[in-house]
Amino acid sequence: MVEDHDHDHDDRWYRRSVFYEVLVRGFFDGNGDGTGDLAGLTEKLDYIQWLGVDCLWLLPFYQSPLRDGGYDISDFFSILPEYGDLADAVELVEQAHRRGIKVIADLVMNHTSDQHPWFQESRQDSTNPKADWYVWSDDDQRWPDARVIFVDTERSNWTWDAQRQQYFWHRFFSHQPDLNYDNPDVQQTMIDVVRFWLDIGLDGFRLDAVPYLFERDATNGENLPETHEFLKRLRKEVDASHPGKVFLAEANQWPADVVDYFGDGDECHMCFHFPLMPRMFMALRREQRYPITEIMAQTPSIPDGSQWGIFLRNHDELTLEMVSDEDRDYMYAEYAKDPRMKRNIGIGRRLATLVDNDRRVSELLHGLLFSLPGSPVLYYGDEIGMGDNIYLGDRDGVRTPMQWSPDRNAGFSRADFAQLYLPPLMDPVYGYEACNVEAQTRNPSSFLQWIQRMLQIRKSRNEIFGTGSFEVLPAENPSVLAFFRQYGDDIVLCVNNLSRFAQPAELQLGRFAGRTPVELAGRVPFRRIGEGPFVLTLGSYGFYWFELVQD
Amino acid sequence: MAIDGIATDALLPLLSEFLPCQRWYRGVDAPAALNLLHSNIERAGWPALVDLIVDADGEVYQVLVGLRPSDERPEFLRGHDEASLGEIDTSSGAAHAYEATLDPELGSTLLDRLTSGSEHAERVRTIAAEQSNTSLVYDDRLILKLFRRLHAGVNPEIEVTEALARVGFQHIAAPVASSQWGDYSLGVLQPYLAGGVEGWALALTSLRDLFGVQDTQPVPLVTEDGPPPAADPGQAGGDFSAEAERLGAMTAQLHIALAEAFGTEPGDSGAWADQVAAQVSAAPIPDNIERDAIDRVVNEMRNVSDSGPATRVHGDYHLGQVMRTDEGWYILDFEGEPDRSVDDRRRTTSPLRDVAGMLRSFHYASLVALADSDEIGLVAAWEERNRRAFLDGYIPAAENAGMLSGDGASVERLLRGFELEKAAYELNYEEGHRPDWARIPKAALRRLTR
Repeated sequence: MVEDHDHDHDDRWYRRSVFYEVLVRGFFDGNGDGTGDLAGLTEKLDYIQWLGVDCLWLLPFYQSPLRDGGYDISDFFSILPEYGDLADAVELVEQAHRRGIKVIADLVMNHTSDQHPWFQESRQDSTNPKADWYVWSDDDQRWPDARVIFVDTERSNWTWDAQRQQYFWHRFFSHQPDLNYDNPDVQQTMIDVVRFWLDIGLDGFRLDAVPYLFERDATNGENLPETHEFLKRLRKEVDASHPGKVFLAEANQWPADVVDYFGDGDECHMCFHFPLMPRMFMALRREQRYPITEIMAQTPSIPDGSQWGIFLRNHDELTLEMVSDEDRDYMYAEYAKDPRMKRNIGIGRRLATLVDNDRRVSELLHGLLFSLPGSPVLYYGDEIGMGDNIYLGDRDGVRTPMQWSPDRNAGFSRADFAQLYLPPLMDPVYGYEACNVEAQTRNPSSFLQWIQRMLQIRKSRNEIFGTGSFEVLPAENPSVLAFFRQYGDDIVLCVNNLSRFAQPAELQLGRFAGRTPVELAGRVPFRRIGEGPFVLTLGSYGFYWFELVQD
Repeated sequence: MAIDGIATDALLPLLSEFLPCQRWYRGVDAPAALNLLHSNIERAGWPALVDLIVDADGEVYQVLVGLRPSDERPEFLRGHDEASLGEIDTSSGAAHAYEATLDPELGSTLLDRLTSGSEHAERVRTIAAEQSNTSLVYDDRLILKLFRRLHAGVNPEIEVTEALARVGFQHIAAPVASSQWGDYSLGVLQPYLAGGVEGWALALTSLRDLFGVQDTQPVPLVTEDGPPPAADPGQAGGDFSAEAERLGAMTAQLHIALAEAFGTEPGDSGAWADQVAAQVSAAPIPDNIERDAIDRVVNEMRNVSDSGPATRVHGDYHLGQVMRTDEGWYILDFEGEPDRSVDDRRRTTSPLRDVAGMLRSFHYASLVALADSDEIGLVAAWEERNRRAFLDGYIPAAENAGMLSGDGASVERLLRGFELEKAAYELNYEEGHRPDWARIPKAALRRLTR
């Protein structure tokens, strides 16, 4: 990956940032109505600052009938009343900025809710002013190569509208019609939407479902050149009016295709690296580094100033679609043979439950997340090892209220229990009496305190971890994953033991002979590097970050 | 004989002492007859490099001697007393003679000379773990394998890897350069598979994980009847079977590529059965193995309805000869079993011979991992699962390409015969070298004759 030397250029803050994904509904209830809101989130900014988060990512907070968790927007210019109003949003952004925290929000460009006034108008007839704002057709046969994404609920990308007597196009749910980006008015209006929110102070957007903006004959309707052109136009206009903002693209594609969304550094600033996440889990399960090193080897370099977003968990489930699109691929074969991994596909689990609540594994996974190339994205609650409730169904299992204290409703809300949008976890292992922010803040050896310290360490070297080059260091022991992060002459060596057993590591560090490895957490100097192999012993799931200090 | 003022003859008496201390020397004592066949000197100031090819009691060796002034005691020789030959006089004064492959400067000289200066390296390190070779690794990018004990005729490693590269087989480190003296191959330069891990180490990682799962399964506080059920290797995290299947598929590709490069002949199960019988009769078969059962395996092999084709094979195929890298599996070391003659190693045979070698290796791994534990059922389940996965990867691909008889019963009988042959060979070897491990081929013989 390319190094970036203009670190004074603060427009690139996102390369040195730690992101924190927040479900407004589930974080903190400021007005006692049982649902989290923007005012509640503002109240908890001190906690987020203490944790060491640089940028909040808010899941959709727009007006919505909430048939798809708010990704079905019915008014781009107003806030869902349960979350507050525009003034609350402005207050949140101002208070966050006062603490040095940026705020980005989800934005769905591809489609709207069918309740959106634009669609209501469009469906009236084929002559009204918004008639061409959506994609209409007399038959449902066009673009047969575009796959159906939600195969469990949708049978076609076309749905009949009785009112207009035509079919409308939708890549996701049938209540989410796709906007017609071939219409210049739609393009301009969506750019206006972006400007509106940047004007009130938002620092950027996580752009949902970007590969699908356009449709063309004889294509699968993904990653089309027209889509890239529009994103480039958006970037150019925003750069001119609002410099220093970020677009984080959700393009759930293979890394070689995803890099197109960076353009030549003139499209999206960041993209999620989807295949890395399941491979981190597979590497631990196999006690081998190959699942990780293979995908890193297949990850192309990205334009100067761009950045990957990497994560362990988020609000969506782990699906095989994210893992692989080639049936001869490594992960496909591994998954096919592994009943346990197969079981976890399609079920939203939190990190703690995925790793059987093993503190050492959680630490190692976060150690990897904080040291592999990219900006880490944390999911709210994972910092205290929250669990999930798979009986809530769909994706609600990982969207239960943040557990602040052992008090009523987990300290999340003063409402009656029955009024809560979802019940907090109450089981003996992950329930809020055992697992909450207050208790872990008081306990110096808690997971929360550990995460906070690691984020401090990362922050002290954020040029290296955020923007440094990445190079895997060969090791004969397959359970050992060692790599360098290098920025200029500053080098950090990360050595990870992916096995539950203690492991030896013999590393060829000859080219750094004369330097002394200093372990970053405790500043303990290790034996000076010589010409011979550097020998380390790693405890069960142990890892070290060494700064290689020139004498 | 003196070149550039260095009397190479003067090195011969020093060699008599030096040779018996080297891993690659076949004898035990100093050679009774030592003759210099060839010498060459590279000298542009110190250090100097002297290439020698010597005949010691009928075996031919490549010796590389470095020379530095006697008052220099370079760091790289510290702790390597066996690498010193002693002092000799040169026209430039007294010099210390030593094993040249330890000297990074001379390592660079070797690379420079072999590639006519087209390759350079900043760092050189020596690997001397192998029995009959010495390897130099350059910048973790290239590896120069120097053959120490020489055999007349082209070295199979060079011959086979070059041929496989020509037909486009990807899973080898194709030679970059090689050197030859007369009939003898001296060395080969190949890409270094940095970060590669031997299949053997990966298989043991998988087995270790399986034991770990067994140890960490929740134990019921009240046991009703019998112990808790054994862990299923398919459920264990470190499952190897997807790798085993990939290995099998790659092995089929190897045989297809070998056939393309060297051609095929009709197989001769009778001749193969004779070889198996010969190997068995040379092995110290324990008394509790029935001779009749052995004969039955050999005869079933002899009388198969379809032998399938014969082709060149790897010849010494096991988990230690395959390497997992980030780009997938690679096959190493096409030299064949070092104790066999070059002609013998180049003979065509059934590709199932390699398959049997790998299957025997799975058995070895499982029993080595078992050590003194009593979880025999667990490791047997691991072996069975990976054996099946390997064959699932191999057989359909090999059969489709005509590398294997389409008759399943014939394949099974041939494979059994070759496994018997391999186990007998192993028993011979283990009794001579590692008596503690003889239990492994003995267990295999019992199983094959059951």
